[in-house]
Amino acid sequence: MSLLTVRGLTVAFRAINHDVPVVAGLDFDLPRSGALGIVGESGSGKSMTSLAIMGLLPAGATRTGSIVFDGTELTALPERRMRAIRGDRIAMIFQDPLSSLNPYYTVGTQIAEAYRAHRSGVSRKTARKVAIEAMERVHIRDAARRVDDYPHQFSGGMRQRVMIAMALSTEPELIIADEPTTALDVTVQAQILELLAEVRRDTGAALILITHDLAVVSEVADHLLVMRRGEVVESGTAAQVFSDPRHAYTRALLDAVPRIDDTIGELRST
Amino acid sequence: MTSLLSARDLVKEFPVAGTQGLFTPAKRFTAVNRVSFDLQAGETLALVGESGSGKSTTARLAARLIDVTSGTVHLDGTDITALHGDALREVRRQIQVVFQDPFSSLNPRHTVERIVTAPLRYQKREIPGGTRAVAQQLLERVGLDPAHVGRYPSQFSGGQAQRIGIARALAVRPRVLVCDEAVSALDVSVQAQIINLLRDLQREEGFGCLFIAHDLAVVRQIATSVAVMTDGTIVETGDRDSVFGEPRHEYTKRLLAAVPRINPEWEAARRRNAAARSSEEAPA
Amino acid sequence: MTRYVVHRVGGMILVLFLVCLFTYMVFFLLSPDPAVQICGKNCTPERIDQIRENLGLDQPFLTQFLGFLGGLFTGREYGGGTSIIECPAPCLGYSFQTSQIVTDMLVQRLPVTAVVAIGAAVLWLTAGVIGGLVSAVREGRFADRFIAALTLGGMSIPNYVLALGLQYVFVVQLQWLPFPQAVPFADDPGQWFANFILPWTVLAIGYASSYTRLTRANVIDTLGENFVRTAKAKGLQPSLVWRRHALRPALTPVVTIAGMDFAGLLGGALITETVFGINGVGKLAADSITKNDQPVIMAVTLLAAFFVVVGNMVVDLLYSAIDPRVRAGAS
Repeated sequence: MSLLTVRGLTVAFRAINHDVPVVAGLDFDLPRSGALGIVGESGSGKSMTSLAIMGLLPAGATRTGSIVFDGTELTALPERRMRAIRGDRIAMIFQDPLSSLNPYYTVGTQIAEAYRAHRSGVSRKTARKVAIEAMERVHIRDAARRVDDYPHQFSGGMRQRVMIAMALSTEPELIIADEPTTALDVTVQAQILELLAEVRRDTGAALILITHDLAVVSEVADHLLVMRRGEVVESGTAAQVFSDPRHAYTRALLDAVPRIDDTIGELRST
Repeated sequence: MTSLLSARDLVKEFPVAGTQGLFTPAKRFTAVNRVSFDLQAGETLALVGESGSGKSTTARLAARLIDVTSGTVHLDGTDITALHGDALREVRRQIQVVFQDPFSSLNPRHTVERIVTAPLRYQKREIPGGTRAVAQQLLERVGLDPAHVGRYPSQFSGGQAQRIGIARALAVRPRVLVCDEAVSALDVSVQAQIINLLRDLQREEGFGCLFIAHDLAVVRQIATSVAVMTDGTIVETGDRDSVFGEPRHEYTKRLLAAVPRINPEWEAARRRNAAARSSEEAPA
Repeated sequence: MTRYVVHRVGGMILVLFLVCLFTYMVFFLLSPDPAVQICGKNCTPERIDQIRENLGLDQPFLTQFLGFLGGLFTGREYGGGTSIIECPAPCLGYSFQTSQIVTDMLVQRLPVTAVVAIGAAVLWLTAGVIGGLVSAVREGRFADRFIAALTLGGMSIPNYVLALGLQYVFVVQLQWLPFPQAVPFADDPGQWFANFILPWTVLAIGYASSYTRLTRANVIDTLGENFVRTAKAKGLQPSLVWRRHALRPALTPVVTIAGMDFAGLLGGALITETVFGINGVGKLAADSITKNDQPVIMAVTLLAAFFVVVGNMVVDLLYSAIDPRVRAGAS
């Protein structure tokens, strides 16, 4: 049985007298420990998909269809029970680590926050230990000292490691990473991608990677969804989609990607 | 031979915020440290580096948007670092800049006509045939519908807005075009269009292009020569194929190795499949 | 951090010195000759010269200014011959019109003004923060629009209109409040408290209106921050998301601005104190202006400047204690 089964997921924003869909009839399955890449350009609905799974859609957006996580229908779940899953069994990593961390609290406090929210009777000391362990797992050096530092005292890459540590602290079964390396330098991006792969190996967590970057997704995902204007235009294993794209949009997208090892006379574009 | 644009030993220091004492000056941070490069007409020199490498500051120095702490910039053999008044105005005409965020560099309350012809008005030039005709021509050159001269920036997509920025730069027929992360914020398909556009325009106009970017794959598609920057200095410079093909500096090697790549086997298979598909379709 | 504090205190002393210099220049060089005023109607040129000499007004500006500064730190004496007046440090001058040492006059009035300022601050902070929170939570709904209308009124109505209006309604017409009578707290706490209700309210309404708007804007901005989304994604209870991730960042600026406004009020609420006949620093300023009692006017000005400068510094230090980013920038 798959960990996550999505059927007919539709997200729409309420306009004056009609609904504007931003995600239209999405279907996919994610096996345990699988890695699914959702690729698309801006306006494709890929980020809304992740927020819909988390139940964190902005005000004014409605969600229909079915999202079954480990046998539980999330769309029918009362908010209180959804909250128990969110941040515990499904964790999320966002694009811009600086603005996604609260500047007023130490990273240790913020990492331990999810753990304390989902485990009862956690002492300060235990929470601190959990935070340090999580920071060590994402290879933040000198974690025992840095646990008391504030987000602005970390570099961009280290902040994203903090975000990942935060997601890991509760040992989630599913991690949703929304453009986790887009705001980072290329050398740092390589390190973070390596870290995500390591985390998956070690914990067996499934991953949904949302990105606009085809090269990034090709290094991480084993299954792909290519989205355009709220719809899936193509899906399959990464090998299938990359070596034999069926849909004209996917082909055009792949043609437009500049290659580091190759110079193309004229970049083709959609 | 004198270069079109020649920078020698550029240094730029900034005061560090919050370090200024009552009577002591602020500590200084060296953003650009002894940077030299040459740009020839018709050529594209890419300055690549990660955040904080000083590439954007270097571009601003070269375009004289900010003043150097020391060093010189020569445009066609004339030192432009100390110019002011009319002479500086002429330099600003000859060196045009296209920025990263197309919308924030376009005044939302001005029509496209007014935006793209603004540099002409700053130059106090005679406009033959009026601004409308000129604006229409410019839009056509960057692949936009000339009928849209009366629209406002918000009525365009990101890629189209960047075309407007390029049209504005081209209005005064610059010798040098500085592109400061000009395609970084764009979707990949739009990015490809803009890169193609820049290449075509350069072929027609023969301007030299100083292309600032962090994306090495993009740089590979557009540059004729490359300078790799880190910590305010150029660590490696050379023509494109030698820098990408046989990088000498450790940092360049590390940078190139870090770029994500699509599995080469998949790439090869895709090319084979595409070829097979087109030969299938051809007879039909 | 120590370096930062030393730095700030140094800057503060410099600013206060400049304020002193400037105020002194304005009052003793640009305004009418105090000797003529003191001399009164039956005056002879000889007597004016005598007064000038006694007051040191015949000295060059710099000497006079240094004398004033010296008085601040070590005290000084006024007059000459038999009528010498001791003015101990910190000496802010001597009022010949009331025959009092200015410092004593201020010390007498300051506690009253402090009571006015503290009461008003408590009121406006409570009302402003609650109003702002309600507005933010009910953004765009009826409560929000209703509060917006109230704050618009509160900000646009002049203080004296409000003061006179409220006094007429609550004291004269409804008689819910007794007619103001100056009583010491110990004698009649009820009357003492009643005296302050209207001044507190009048002062608080203006401030509360702008604080409501500030709080509303800050809370709405903060709720849109990415870190609030992160907090929700962790599965935190809504109350925790609010308390920890929305309120602290949103209210920090409100508290610091409150510090500045409070410091400003300690310099005296001129109109409100005058209308309600409260013998605070503000009323002292008003009285001195009508009598052109220059040493007093100058002292009140300096006092207000002192509170603003000190308040500013305290707020900055407080801010760096609350916001870790400022703390790091300073070290």
